[in-house]
Amino acid sequence: MEQQFSLTSEIRNNRLIIATSGYVNNVGGEAIAKEFTRHFQKGTKQVVINLAKSKVVNSIGMSFLIEIIEQLEEAGGKLVFAELDPAVEKMLAIMGLFTFAGKEPTVEDAL
Amino acid sequence: MKSRSTKKKPVKETVSLKIELPNVPDIELVALEGLDRLARHMGIAEAKTGEAKLLVTEAIINGLEHSGSKNPNVRVEFTMTKTDLVIFVRDYGKGFEPSSIEEPDIRSKVTSKSKRGWGLKVMKSMSDDFRIESTTRGTKITIRKLLR
Repeated sequence: MEQQFSLTSEIRNNRLIIATSGYVNNVGGEAIAKEFTRHFQKGTKQVVINLAKSKVVNSIGMSFLIEIIEQLEEAGGKLVFAELDPAVEKMLAIMGLFTFAGKEPTVEDAL
Repeated sequence: MKSRSTKKKPVKETVSLKIELPNVPDIELVALEGLDRLARHMGIAEAKTGEAKLLVTEAIINGLEHSGSKNPNVRVEFTMTKTDLVIFVRDYGKGFEPSSIEEPDIRSKVTSKSKRGWGLKVMKSMSDDFRIESTTRGTKITIRKLLR
C-alpha cells in the first residue's frame, strides 16, 4: 500500500529543496504549499521539489503546486521538479506545469 | 497416496475485481492495492502500471466528489489481461453534463482563484480510451489503459 505522506526540506545553494514521500493528495499538496510559504516569506525564490518517493499523486494535490508557481512567477522565482516517476511526469505535462516549471533528472542537476 | 503436482497452474487470461468504496479519506488506495495484486498475479511489471494507478485514483476521487448524499459510495471494477486494463467507476450522484465542463488551461489557472478541475483532462489524455455517461442517477466512467 502507498505509504502515508511526509516531507522533508532543506536549503542548499540558496534553494529550497522539498522532498516528499508517499501519496500526494490534497493533504500532501497543502503540506508542500505550506512548507513553501514558510520559506518564501523569508525570501527564498528558487525551489526544487523532489518527488522521487511519490509515485502516486492526484490532480488535486498537484493543483496546490500551481499556487506555488503563481507566487514564484510574481516574485521572479522558479520551481524545478526533480526525480519524477514517468507516470507523474506525464500527469504534470498534461496539466501543463512545465510551461512554468522546470524538470531535472536529479536534485543535483536542479541546483 | 497421491502426490501433489508441482506444475504451476497457468495464469488465467483475464482477472477482475469488483469493489464498493465508501467516501472516506484515501479509500482510493484500497483500490490501488487490489490493482497491484492483480498485476502481480498476471506477471505484469510495476513500471507498466504507473499510469493506470493515476487513472484509477482520478476516476475514484472524481466519483466520490460527485457521489450523492443518499449513496456516497463508488463502485469500482477492474478487468485486466496481460496487456490491458479496463477501469469502470460509477457513482450514484445527481450527474452532470460532461460537455459543459470547460477544459482547464494552465495559463489561466495560474492566475485564477480556483486551481482545481483537472481530473477529466488527465483521464482523457492519459488513457487509451475514455468514456463517460452521466444521468440524474449517477455517472459512469470507463477507461481502457494499455499496460506497456
